[in-house]
Amino acid sequence: MLEIKDLHVAIGEKPILKGISLTIRPGEVHAIMGPNGSGKSTLAQVLAGREGYTVTAGTVTWQGQDLLSLAPEERAWAGLFLGFQYPLEIPGVANVQLLKEAVNSQRRRKGLPELDAFDFLERVKASIKLLEMDDAMLYRGVNEGFSGGEKKRNEILQMLMLEPRLAILDETDSGLDIDALKIVARGVNALRGPERAILLVTHYQRLLDHITPDHVHVLADGRILASGGRELALEVEAKGYGWLTEPSPPAPLPQAGEGRGEAGREARP
Amino acid sequence: MIPATWTDIPAPGGLPEARRAAMERYLAQGLPHTRQEDWHYTALDHLTRQPLHPPAAGDASPVIDEAPGHDHGSSASPAIDGGVSETKRMPGAAGPSQTRGEDAPPLQGGVTHLIFAGERLIETRSTLPTTLLRALEEGDLAAAPTLAPGTALSALNSALWKGGGCLTVPRGQRLERPVFLRFLAGEPEAMLHPRSLIRLEAGAEAVVVETYTGATAANYWCNPVTEVELEPGARLTHVRLIEEGAAATHTGLTAVRLAAESRYALLDLSLTGRVCRNELHLALTGVGAACRLDGLFLSDGRRHSDHHLRVEHAVPGTASRTTYRGVAAGRGLGIFDARVLIRPGADGTDARQDSRNLLLSPHAEIDAKPQLEIYADQVQASHGATVGRLSEEALFYLRTRGIDRIEARRLLLAAFAGEALGLVAEAGLDDWLMPRITARLNEIGESIQ
Ligand SMILES: Nc1ncnc2c1ncn2[C@@H]1O[C@H](COP(=O)(O)OP(=O)(O)OP(=O)(O)O)[C@@H](O)[C@H]1O
Ligand SMILES: [Mg+2]
Repeated sequence: MLEIKDLHVAIGEKPILKGISLTIRPGEVHAIMGPNGSGKSTLAQVLAGREGYTVTAGTVTWQGQDLLSLAPEERAWAGLFLGFQYPLEIPGVANVQLLKEAVNSQRRRKGLPELDAFDFLERVKASIKLLEMDDAMLYRGVNEGFSGGEKKRNEILQMLMLEPRLAILDETDSGLDIDALKIVARGVNALRGPERAILLVTHYQRLLDHITPDHVHVLADGRILASGGRELALEVEAKGYGWLTEPSPPAPLPQAGEGRGEAGREARP
Repeated sequence: MIPATWTDIPAPGGLPEARRAAMERYLAQGLPHTRQEDWHYTALDHLTRQPLHPPAAGDASPVIDEAPGHDHGSSASPAIDGGVSETKRMPGAAGPSQTRGEDAPPLQGGVTHLIFAGERLIETRSTLPTTLLRALEEGDLAAAPTLAPGTALSALNSALWKGGGCLTVPRGQRLERPVFLRFLAGEPEAMLHPRSLIRLEAGAEAVVVETYTGATAANYWCNPVTEVELEPGARLTHVRLIEEGAAATHTGLTAVRLAAESRYALLDLSLTGRVCRNELHLALTGVGAACRLDGLFLSDGRRHSDHHLRVEHAVPGTASRTTYRGVAAGRGLGIFDARVLIRPGADGTDARQDSRNLLLSPHAEIDAKPQLEIYADQVQASHGATVGRLSEEALFYLRTRGIDRIEARRLLLAAFAGEALGLVAEAGLDDWLMPRITARLNEIGESIQ
């Protein structure tokens, strides 16, 4: 459903993504890991349609159409969702107002009638309950004064309300305590289905204990260095990224060999 | 032409002298000009090029929409029932002094509307008083205009005013519903100087809404003066809604005096009108008096909206909170020029000013000039002003949720303006006021690319 081919992205003159190729099929969960500054959020933001990035080469196809030609809201209508690494605070716009506007704009686009206040609230309350959030958060400004963990949960709430076909979650697990992590994972798993796909950006494989990925990719310096299964995440967790980013260390450490290759890793040129 | 000589207006005893003196004060100063510090941002030169004249009798006023409780059209203009004497016999007002605050008994009699076309009273819906002229005719000396500072334009108003409202809320009484003073203008080149007086006796409470509306194409000039006097413990919520015609000039002045423990809340809304200047002179003269000054101005096209606030803390233990929001688009210009003066001896004053402004296009301009002058001790005072743009990040965030650019902008603008609109709901004016403000905000939001 999503096909990224040789995507190059620059900010100003500075190249950030240097040839990303990635295919996501319905029903799949992909995880992207990678060192700080490697371009994970850049990829997520470019997919969501943020301005200020220059696509210098490559294509992104979403369900047969050119994703990059769509405005951010059109991408949302087409079923894309981005959970922000740093969700914005928007004082003065009530959380419930945002959810309602979001759900109803999407319905209007699909030619569906807007949800009436009752049905809407019914649905929100169900999701709120699943995420063990406090009702009062609905009536506060969007993310206004929310703790880090509350903001992340709020992203998941929006995701559940919008029921996207592809959810890109940029470090939604960062800053969550163990219980919150389980709750967020529960929210994400509630969305999983044969028609939907999820792209998780994470630094920690512990999220993947709760949301089992089909594919794991390691992004470093704007390139996907390795792709594999669940094991790749464990390997990264155990060894860090050094062994991937330095293809020919002067003298490979004896221990460094273990597990190598068995993940079906495809090193990229 | 603005008159250069005395114009006689039939008025009760003593006033002609006062008018003449006022005219002399005006003539001594002349029309304000931008070389004066207080008028730095607002030029009125165009007025001298217009053949301005007092409004003709048959004024072509625009039709006004409904206001809360205003049953427009169901009856022709009834005569003023009762006049001023009615004030003094208001139900429940005759007894001994009432308790103030929450316990104050509401006044019966429902809604009050005074509607002026040009300067002529065309409709009264009231068991309350009445017009300023009427009050003076009835010998209500306290109604004689006194509070307004001696600015050139207020002097001109003192010399030339004909119509205007006069509201006295007796001691301890609470008006249950808002009082509306509505000024309509429609005649091109008309020069209007409405004059109003709002007095709340000790412990009285009221919501007063002044609206200034005009025909779109008429280049009239409206120069109203409103005086507000709050006795000890009185509470007034005062809404000033400027919805003047697109070619109009408005130079309003509001003079307020607060006695001990009184509360004054202003909502200053400047929505339309080509050149608008709103001047507020407010003096906290009694211990424990407090005011809240909220404002919103929207300047698009070539609109000019100048807000000139002068707040004076004259005694200890007084408080002022100023919260203004400004939005400018197109080649619109907005000015927030506020000075809080804390006089010697006004110790323990608490004064805050907060002015935030949004520019929606490259040629829009907002000048925010909050100033504090402190001559007292143990003062808590702060002022802040920002001029910024709509957050691209917030817009993007909303758009990723499927809210299109226009709608996203609309949400952000409403949120921004909402920071200064708390009084709308508190005054119970939500249904009437919010749609007008929202419509204007949307118009501006949609006007930008
Ligand atoms: N506006 C910008 N101007 C210049 N450089 C930028 C800008 N935004 C991002 N970058 C750079 O792009 C690179 C990739 O950033 P990105 O946020 O995509 O990293 P990330 O992989 O998400 O990192 P983290 O794990 O810390 O979230 C970084 O070097 C960052 O400094
Ligand atoms: Mg990131």
